Amino acid sequence: MVEKKINTVYDVVCPFCGTLCDDLEVDVNIKENLVVEVRNACQIGTKKFFSSNPSPHRYEKPLIKDNGTFKEVSWDEAIDIAADILAKSKRPLLYGFASTECEAQSKGVELAETLGGILDNTASVCHGPTLLAEQDVGVPTSTLGEYKNRADLIIFWGSNPVHAHPRHLGRYSQFVRGYFRKDGRNDRFIIVVDPRNTHTAQIADLHIQVNPNEDYELMNGIRAMLRGVELDAKMISGIPIEKIKELIKILKECKYGVIFFGMGLTQSLAHHRNIDTAICLTRELNDYTKFLITPMRGHYNITGANTVFTWNTGYGYSIDFSRGYPRYNPGEFSSVDLLMRDEIDASLIVASDPASNFPAASVKNLFKHPLISVEPHHTPTSENADIILPAAFAGIECEGTAYRMDHVPIRLRKVKDAPGECLTDREILEKLILKVKEKLGE
Amino acid sequence: MPEIKLKLKKQPDFPLEADVISPDNLAGKSTAEIKNLELYVANEKTTIGEFFSVSGKSGDAKELKIIIDGNLSKVKRIGEKMTDGEIIINGNVGMHVGNQMSGGKILVNGNADDWAGAMLKGGELEITGDAGNYVGAAYRGFWKGMGNGVIRVKGKVGHEALTWADGSVVAKRFPTLYCGSAGSFLGMHGHGATIVVEGDVDRCAGADQVKGTIVIKGKVSRLLPSYKKIGEVKEIDLFNGEKITGKFIEYSGDHSVKKNHNVIDKKTNKVKISVNGRLYIAA
Ligand code: SF4
Repeated sequence: MVEKKINTVYDVVCPFCGTLCDDLEVDVNIKENLVVEVRNACQIGTKKFFSSNPSPHRYEKPLIKDNGTFKEVSWDEAIDIAADILAKSKRPLLYGFASTECEAQSKGVELAETLGGILDNTASVCHGPTLLAEQDVGVPTSTLGEYKNRADLIIFWGSNPVHAHPRHLGRYSQFVRGYFRKDGRNDRFIIVVDPRNTHTAQIADLHIQVNPNEDYELMNGIRAMLRGVELDAKMISGIPIEKIKELIKILKECKYGVIFFGMGLTQSLAHHRNIDTAICLTRELNDYTKFLITPMRGHYNITGANTVFTWNTGYGYSIDFSRGYPRYNPGEFSSVDLLMRDEIDASLIVASDPASNFPAASVKNLFKHPLISVEPHHTPTSENADIILPAAFAGIECEGTAYRMDHVPIRLRKVKDAPGECLTDREILEKLILKVKEKLGE
Repeated sequence: MPEIKLKLKKQPDFPLEADVISPDNLAGKSTAEIKNLELYVANEKTTIGEFFSVSGKSGDAKELKIIIDGNLSKVKRIGEKMTDGEIIINGNVGMHVGNQMSGGKILVNGNADDWAGAMLKGGELEITGDAGNYVGAAYRGFWKGMGNGVIRVKGKVGHEALTWADGSVVAKRFPTLYCGSAGSFLGMHGHGATIVVEGDVDRCAGADQVKGTIVIKGKVSRLLPSYKKIGEVKEIDLFNGEKITGKFIEYSGDHSVKKNHNVIDKKTNKVKISVNGRLYIAA
């Protein structure tokens, strides 16, 4: 008998973006523990699987910075030093968690509580405003399967799925055939609202080219006109009133509409208030037809991070445990604001790369204090860390749960083993919790 | 009159949480007892005595005056939930000063950070410098913000001042803000706020306002499309009985709010004046 060299794993979940495609097929060379082929995934998803193969970019052993260069140490030593930094710090920041699985996230909560530290995830710099708005005005939403089968009007507002969520269009929102939308793309009307002529806008039926940072006014005007108020203005946010009237007709006459919004709304001026009014607009459209709204979440398990943090502490992100119980206040306890004011004295970054995304001034303050990075491969953050704890890729090298952008939990699969001495994020955090508790005398 | 003097001795490394400093908590205590009251810095407990020198004599909360000197920009929550008495702060002060207070008076001779007077229920907060964002605003997720009381800010207030204000003419609750100038989304989701701005205001003043009065004596960088011009007025009556004279253009709104729509007369397509929010901008 010939020895089997290639093993194919079916129904693999892609741990890259919030679409969380669950139909991938991955070929693995078992002998050498390598991903050799990925089918069904989009380009960015495929790349992630290949990046898990051993390469000069992957960490395989715990590292500690010694006089500016990294030296390899044992797990025991690394955990001991890391726990020491955390236990001694008065205001440690635990940040990241969007690109790992839920069990590891809940361990993050436990560690933050033990330390009396600050716990934050990447929603802080992406869809945090969405959470704020949802707290203020609620949210009418549904799952992606519903949209696929029913929606005949899709609005992408400040989102560009062609590049950010490539298979979203084919699986749920644009080309896919649904139970009541048998003709796929022809049964759907697609609107894109974006200041730029994006690739998504180019395949839409209608592109509303709103002025940058004026989305709030546009939605505000639509809401008033929706109920028949004649406005004084002839033009709102660069769109003539006549065109808005046509748009409102389309909105009212659809059978089932949905707004998918992205960071074009949450991270342009007005932030959470954009979402606030978008949600109100959606709610009010339900006086005429069925309308729902869903955020296009970026990292594959950022929805999970918000969910796990919420069921543990009551809050989705920006949580402070310094007084022994969880408190929540973005702006006061959110990572960027804390760093800008230089209010931390150590940090633990799990599965995230703030150095590439945060404002430079805050990154400078992050590097000023001891930094522990739990990370599978080289990033600007890990390269500037004091301790690197090498992690396995969740969803490729270990199992776990992740939440899709519409809050559907999906079980991630393991397709191969992690290289070298890598441990899973959960195991690393468990070790840290034990050691920290020991040092704090608990 | 009983008076307690606190002077900041050293700057904390991390923000110092001083919610215990209010006339209610300091009333009837000796200076030694006051020095032992708990403060929080990062994840550690500390005491007033550790960071402040304490002098003077305490008494009834009603008459007690607390004077605090020093650069308090890293000291948060002074006067939280106070019900009576007076606090005078000589210097800049950190976040949440006077949040949820229901009576008494706080005077800040300097600037205040974010959330000054958040969800005020009564009393008076005066700031002689600038104030940060969310002055008198509702905390995250609360549908009822400032319920009563007055906030006066000489300088600028930041974004989203007085969100979700919750006033009632019938119950004689008039949440009121006087300020020099203001950032964006002033009085958002207002339910009966009174806001008077001496100078200019950034975009989206009165967004989603259900009822309330906003008077702007300067300019608005971008008026919301959902506000409709009614005409010119020479005198404005505020909820609290005050009158403002001058040449103003009167707008009604926010017409994007469902509750406001219900009072538009179908036949004339005009708004019934009695219920809607008002925005006055200097002509
Ligand atoms: S769309 Fe997202 S989840 Fe799907 S394969 Fe691409 S990156 Fe992965």
